[in-house]
Amino acid sequence: MCVEPAVIYLRYAKRHLCRAHLIEDIEQRVLSTVENKKLISTGDRIAVALSGGKDSTALLILLCRLLPALKDVSLVAITIDEGITSYREDTVHSAEDLTRRLGIEHHCISFTEQFGDPLDDLLKGRESQACSICGILRKKALNIGAHRVGATKLATGHNLDDEAQSVLMNVLRGDLPRLVRNSGNDSQSAFIQRIKPLAYISEKEIATYLILNDAWKNLPECPYTRYALRREVRTMLTTLEYRYPGTMLRLMESKRKIEYYCAGSMVCEPIRGCRECGDPCSGDICQVCLLRRSLGL
Amino acid sequence: MKIILPDQSIQTLDRGSTPVENVLSDLGINSLEVIVSRNGKLVSEDTVVGADDEIRIIRIAHGG
Repeated sequence: MCVEPAVIYLRYAKRHLCRAHLIEDIEQRVLSTVENKKLISTGDRIAVALSGGKDSTALLILLCRLLPALKDVSLVAITIDEGITSYREDTVHSAEDLTRRLGIEHHCISFTEQFGDPLDDLLKGRESQACSICGILRKKALNIGAHRVGATKLATGHNLDDEAQSVLMNVLRGDLPRLVRNSGNDSQSAFIQRIKPLAYISEKEIATYLILNDAWKNLPECPYTRYALRREVRTMLTTLEYRYPGTMLRLMESKRKIEYYCAGSMVCEPIRGCRECGDPCSGDICQVCLLRRSLGL
Repeated sequence: MKIILPDQSIQTLDRGSTPVENVLSDLGINSLEVIVSRNGKLVSEDTVVGADDEIRIIRIAHGG
């Protein structure tokens, strides 16, 4: 029985944990996720999508600590500078500081370099579409970066809250194919496989982990989140999680069961090459090229 | 007790010993969206804090 003071109460598990036991618990759970879901294989070169925010910072620190348990695996960090004034500058600096401190190879790719303009300019008059436009372009930029550094996997810092929100958002949109496709089996696509080692760690646990490791930085919130459906879903889900602990984990379990029952019965569009850029996509033209057209790029 | 809010403003709550969760509830804050320290040390939401304590509330920022 530990007598150290608790730094967190995990409502869903009804557990109090002290500093040392929370750190040990999170590292063990991330390793279990990596091993049970076979996210990382011998010889993998993992590109960590490092925004410099809390989740990706925790992800890089955790993967660095887990490296000794992962055979012949190397890490490289990729930061996408979308060009969001009064937001991204701070997180890019934070990413540079972290990779320097950890001795991790770091590459930065900007929207201006890849798409001709910063996100702020691309969004003029389209602010309400910020997250979908940014998401499509950021995914493309990350893929370019991952190919450039010779990565075999792309690790993102999506946490339990993010994943549960995505499940609910896809249900609210009636988008069953995306609900199923969003799973860890992204490897079926022609893109570099994406992995989410923090998918079962809550946002609060991640923030606490960073504070306990002296890696917490008070960074600004993305100014475009106020336009997002995700923001409303987050508030709703956090309230439900508080009142009914375990709600987020149960949403994840629902998704797993839907995937199980849908296995083999979902008809997916075959992957082919985009008519304009040649990138893999499920239609004639990929989302990036469709977006380039609508933005006049 | 002295409360340092996420925006760094300071409030004084006239309250006796009470769990952190009640302090947050009085302020309309969901405990899942913040981290709380008492006199510089992280505490869980059911920790009882007293009138002489300094409570700092750190909001977990969103968006990567």
